[in-house]
Amino acid sequence: MDIKELFAKQEEMKQKNLNAKNEKESEITKVMTFYIGDQVYGIEIPSVIEIIGVPHITVVPGIPYYIKGIINVRSKVVPVIDMRSRFGKEEKEYTDRTNTIIIEEAGVSVGVIVDEVIGVIPVFQKNIANSPDRIGVNDNKFIKYLLEMPDGIKLVLDVAKLIYDGDMYLVEE
Amino acid sequence: MAKVEPGMEAMVDVYIFETTALLEQLDEILLRTEKANEFTEEDINEIFRIMHTVKGSSAMMGFENLQVLAHKGEDMFFIIRENPEKMTDVGFVYDLVFQMSDLFKAEIDMIQNDDDYEPTDFSDMLAKLEKGAKMLKGELDGINADDSASAASPAADDTAAAAAAAAPDCTTVRVFFEDGCKMENIRAFMLINNVKESVDDVEIVSYIPEDIESNQDSANVIIDNGFILSFRAPDVKAVLSAIESSLNVESYEVIDANAQKAEEAEQAAAEAAPVQQETAAAGSPAAPSAPAPAAPKPAEKPKAESKAPAASSGGGKQSLISVNLQKLDQLHDIVGEIITTESMVISNPELEGLRLESFTKSARELRKLTADLQDTVMSIRMVPLTGPFQKMNRIVRDMKVKLNKDVELVIEGDTTEVDKSIVDNLNDPLMHLVRNCMDHGIEDTAEQRIAAGKPAKGTIKLSAMSSSGEVIITISDDGQGIDTEKVIAKAERNGLLMKPASEYSEREIQNMILLPGFSTNDVVTEYSGRGVGMDVVKSNLSKMGGSLTVESKKGEGTAFIIKIPLTLAIVDGMEIMVGDAEFTVPISVIKESFIVKRDQILNDTKRGEMIMIRGVCYPMLRLNEKFGLYSEVNDIEDGIVLLIESENRGICLFADKLIGEQQVVVKPFPKYLSQYDIKGQGLSGCTIMGDGSISLIIDVNNLIGSH
Repeated sequence: MDIKELFAKQEEMKQKNLNAKNEKESEITKVMTFYIGDQVYGIEIPSVIEIIGVPHITVVPGIPYYIKGIINVRSKVVPVIDMRSRFGKEEKEYTDRTNTIIIEEAGVSVGVIVDEVIGVIPVFQKNIANSPDRIGVNDNKFIKYLLEMPDGIKLVLDVAKLIYDGDMYLVEE
Repeated sequence: MAKVEPGMEAMVDVYIFETTALLEQLDEILLRTEKANEFTEEDINEIFRIMHTVKGSSAMMGFENLQVLAHKGEDMFFIIRENPEKMTDVGFVYDLVFQMSDLFKAEIDMIQNDDDYEPTDFSDMLAKLEKGAKMLKGELDGINADDSASAASPAADDTAAAAAAAAPDCTTVRVFFEDGCKMENIRAFMLINNVKESVDDVEIVSYIPEDIESNQDSANVIIDNGFILSFRAPDVKAVLSAIESSLNVESYEVIDANAQKAEEAEQAAAEAAPVQQETAAAGSPAAPSAPAPAAPKPAEKPKAESKAPAASSGGGKQSLISVNLQKLDQLHDIVGEIITTESMVISNPELEGLRLESFTKSARELRKLTADLQDTVMSIRMVPLTGPFQKMNRIVRDMKVKLNKDVELVIEGDTTEVDKSIVDNLNDPLMHLVRNCMDHGIEDTAEQRIAAGKPAKGTIKLSAMSSSGEVIITISDDGQGIDTEKVIAKAERNGLLMKPASEYSEREIQNMILLPGFSTNDVVTEYSGRGVGMDVVKSNLSKMGGSLTVESKKGEGTAFIIKIPLTLAIVDGMEIMVGDAEFTVPISVIKESFIVKRDQILNDTKRGEMIMIRGVCYPMLRLNEKFGLYSEVNDIEDGIVLLIESENRGICLFADKLIGEQQVVVKPFPKYLSQYDIKGQGLSGCTIMGDGSISLIIDVNNLIGSH
């Protein structure tokens, strides 16, 4: 093996290490965080269309209790889900801090009512902890991954699963 | 959608649209000519043109089987075209062409809907068509063998050349097309069409090369030698100017001397022949898709051009464009939003109490314009019922033969316009009803009819008229009518009776045939009698917000009456409040609204409330209880009662108060909610009000049904 080849190999290794480091350091996405009760949850920014307060909700009969009804978001009729009651928590009266986050997945828009929006944080590969398969928590199926941040663990929600909810896969129709 | 060659996907839609339209046109012509029992030259040319266009576009899209099929059909009409005067009794041609057009339609349907589309093998049909062509030729052999020889035979060229040379009074021109305009053979064909259409009394004697329609390589011959056309016409100049004005014609020269003409014709024929043999050796009648996709754009053009003259020949020029329905829906949505937003601006609470003279004036102007805009957008979506009505001609024709009944279909008011989405959904119900009239309505034999004092020929009438936001379509026959005794006996057998048979009114009994699981025909035929027909028709219609009723008189006939809304998108509604929720009730179902006194209310044994109005007892439905809403108005005397009626069933709704009448734009519930049965709760959709709030639209049929 001549010196040139060795040199090239060394360079290659260096580059590889650098790449790996970059991968850990580089920002993957941004997540919007919010409270539901005391727990901090997040939704990836690309899914978020907008954040509004709680507008007048028109009650629609014949739908599950956690879907509060429909709202008018700039001439679009959007259903709203109360996340507290979706996650089996006790419902709370809406305040000035209560927000509706309008999310969209594959052309289907849904508003989710959360206690309070905190802000937007960048997410790096190193922050992501794998989601537990099953720890017996009822709402696990909505969690995409966990974020371990210096200020605590945040649960990032899987918007697709939230919209194409479990056993009722009829949305496409 | 079927997979097509890369880059052609966008064209498939256009192909399907155009071809379907052409095939319908073909059906129409055939039905007309069959009735009149004669082919006019114009008809033959039209059919020929349709076949040719279909063939060309199929080849372009790479649907080889369809191309071959159209080609065979074209061959047959080629023979007819050459000898139109001999085609007086050619009944079998109709059957053949109808069969072919059905196969075509089925195949196109598959292309449209089937992801793993596999071309169907049409060899049976091809053989039939070939046989048909041979029979035609056989008939003609003794009369004019040479002329009837199809273009595929090289010998025809010589004959044509000789004919051109022999005819002393004809004029021959040699036409050159622009360099690189491509598909010269098609252009030459178009040129002939153009000449025929623009000049009266012109007779095309011959042209060289002769096989421009079937042989793609003839384009090369035209490039080299020009296209030689011999014609006979009183006004030669007019023909020449028609040639000159044809598209892509670069130059032409008149060849005067007969001798020269013959010589050149011969030469051209000699040159054309080898080319033909070459393709014949290559196998299939026309080259496969290869050359077509290579030049999709130029190929598209002649197709469009060939359509244009046809449209203009049928009278005044029609300036139509086809638009994607999705875009129209989008436009419609936007207009709906503009109207909503406009109300938000104009009746903005912040403006209250201000003196705004010029603002009010401009606002009025704006409102007028948006109303115009809305009307225009609505009218774009409106299409006449001609399409679905004309299709029934075909059904009657087919069934007439199969059932051996002589029936005439009379169409009235087919220019009545309804929303496109409704027309699309109307085909199946209409077809079912017409079949029902043919099968069950009209008497089995002419003798029965004559015995009943009716003309031997039965009549089925299809009529449409619009009346106040609704279209009423009547399908009636002058047949035997509904035998109420038979119906009630059958209903009893099938366990459909709810009360003793003697208590049913005639009208109720007649409408029993619309119940699920009812079919009076004991024998299942190809067309009806499966017992799924009428109730499916009814439910399909009510899905569009329509209704179906039957009126019949024994011995005189039966009429099916369809009522459908003009449009699904806009509803004239009455706004009502229940608690803090707003609802829209379609005006068309409201019979009256009134305030009731407590003592008018009757209570049944199950705590249900009823009210007696003019001798009829209606159940009372409190909307707040029905929809689980909190309302402060619980005393029946404080609120308002609406009497609504639909499909002969009535109910009274109790609401807090009326707000007023308003035209609303119907929006469906969000997709996310389609997994829940909101419709079953009696709500058909929602609408956004001027103040941005949402009002739910009450679906009266479901509301009554769910009560």
